[in-house]
Amino acid sequence: MITDFPSAPLPLPSEDELTAELAALGGEAIVPKGLRRTIFPVITKEDVFNLLLATRQDPAAVVAGFAEKYRDYVGAAYALPTASGTASLHAALVGAGVEPGDEVIVPAFTFIATAQAVVAAHAIPVFADIDPVTYCLDPAAAKDLVTERTRAIMPVHTHGLPADVTAIRELAKRHGLAFVEDASHAHSASVDGRIAGSIGDAAGQSLMADKNFPLGGEGGIAFFATADAHARAVEYLARHGIDYRMSWIAAAFGASQLERLPFYDAVRARNAALLGEALEGTGLFSPPHVPSGHVHAYNMYRITLNPEAAGLGDLPVHAVKEAVHELLVAEGVPAREWQNTPIPCHLPFTHRAGFGNGHPFTLNPGAVRDHVPQDFPVTLRMLESTLVLCRELRSPVEYERVLRYADAFGKVARRPDAIRDLVREKDYPRPYEKAARLG
Amino acid sequence: MDDYDTALVLSRVLTSGVVMSIEKSDRELPGLERSLTRASGRRHACLVNSRSAAIHAALTGLGIGHGDATGGAGLGPPERSFLAWLGVTADDDVPPPFALLTHADDLSDVDAVALVVDLTGLGFGPAAAFLTDDAGAHARAERLKIFGSYDLRTMWTQEESGAEVVPGVQFNYRLSPLVAACARLALTKGARS
Repeated sequence: MITDFPSAPLPLPSEDELTAELAALGGEAIVPKGLRRTIFPVITKEDVFNLLLATRQDPAAVVAGFAEKYRDYVGAAYALPTASGTASLHAALVGAGVEPGDEVIVPAFTFIATAQAVVAAHAIPVFADIDPVTYCLDPAAAKDLVTERTRAIMPVHTHGLPADVTAIRELAKRHGLAFVEDASHAHSASVDGRIAGSIGDAAGQSLMADKNFPLGGEGGIAFFATADAHARAVEYLARHGIDYRMSWIAAAFGASQLERLPFYDAVRARNAALLGEALEGTGLFSPPHVPSGHVHAYNMYRITLNPEAAGLGDLPVHAVKEAVHELLVAEGVPAREWQNTPIPCHLPFTHRAGFGNGHPFTLNPGAVRDHVPQDFPVTLRMLESTLVLCRELRSPVEYERVLRYADAFGKVARRPDAIRDLVREKDYPRPYEKAARLG
Repeated sequence: MDDYDTALVLSRVLTSGVVMSIEKSDRELPGLERSLTRASGRRHACLVNSRSAAIHAALTGLGIGHGDATGGAGLGPPERSFLAWLGVTADDDVPPPFALLTHADDLSDVDAVALVVDLTGLGFGPAAAFLTDDAGAHARAERLKIFGSYDLRTMWTQEESGAEVVPGVQFNYRLSPLVAACARLALTKGARS
């Protein structure tokens, strides 16, 4: 039997480790090899028991029961459980009234499924740059892209931080657009007490097993503000013979996990705060910015580098990031880029084959652009100057581990000389000069 | 399959901790793929999360997309509606390019070059597969259910590769390992009985 239980506990860190030689230069790693694995999702005996109970229930009732329970948690008016997050975004878009050939404004920085869901709705994704502080869709950039064919705007609550929903709502209202949330990173995230998924006219949300709120495999859920929008989505799927139904197995697992979501959210918030405080003290690193009234879900934790604060302002920021990345990984902190080029520069949007023969892009050629990364300078700057923790902090990791992460960042920040040496030795390419990566 | 078998397989997979389709260490999806390729005699299996997804995978695998025509004889209203949504014209006088089957059919006794097998009737939620001997068709179908130019195990980390199989629209049609594990055991038990 393979089990995901850890083989050994992680020791508490000590001061000596912080001042020891960098692991990349022969020292001991802050997070020792063999103790780096984080467990996600956490599966308990209750999850097993609840799944077994569900085998005795009507499958449709299991799915409906889960959807109602989570809808109530989110505070949305209507819900439609789906087989995936992409399916939920597709359903949300058509429920919000998006028609073939319509334009939908999305951020250039997101997971690619945001834009592919627009294509699934036979509509055209139009890419806007992001805000330089929150890394969510920039409402001002979106405003400049509104045309007569624009039907919806779909911000992403990137990494779990709600987008500027007040400005986006205002923009949507002024131009008669639907406001559709991509809440796939933002389980339990909120703005002024309203949980992501309940804010827009409609929303889609991934519930795959790698998200803060995991189902038993793949799944998603669409939310709607009105009965009409919900009915439109349901009718659309039936009319076109599209089966996006959620498995009862995924749903039963999710219903069980939902009971513990607030607990995991609290652990994640504690860990994010603890790490954030430590990062602030390094000078080189800044934690994610969280605007007043916003609750960040920390599905991912994006750390910004400030080379000038460490006396490295004369070096290219992307090179500093690459060097820091190497040093952190050697210390046992699996930081990553999570994307290295704007979404419109990925193959599906450079080739635009769509459903075949260029559909739906051929429906509205005026909306189609041959983008280069430089079209999105804020996104590029962000990609060049940030690193991300994903599952390593999404998981409700133990106190010892988050302390060690903090120490690893502190240890690396104390060694600008090592960072400078690496930059001098290596010819690091800019992120977007490498082959496009999703993660 | 009786309740004890279902409980056992669910408990086994949950205990392994691997419930994600894109997990490198997942063994359930490859296991179901092997069961289906053995049962059908086909070399490749593309697992997906519904019957409509399997039809989409088959058409994409066979290079049939928006603006194309294909056979539609014998297809039911949902399948015809789905083809229309894909922008594929169905000719009533020509058989479809795939055999539309269910788990209850004898997969070894089918002559078609492409098989769409609906596994939903096994009782674990929507599930299906596209089976073929054609490696290219399989690669195109797989690319439909993932994002970018990656395979199922390396979506997050691998650089784009195999750009000759240009990804167009892509859906998350991925099947869950828990569903695959149950389906596999049910197929095995069914074959034994």
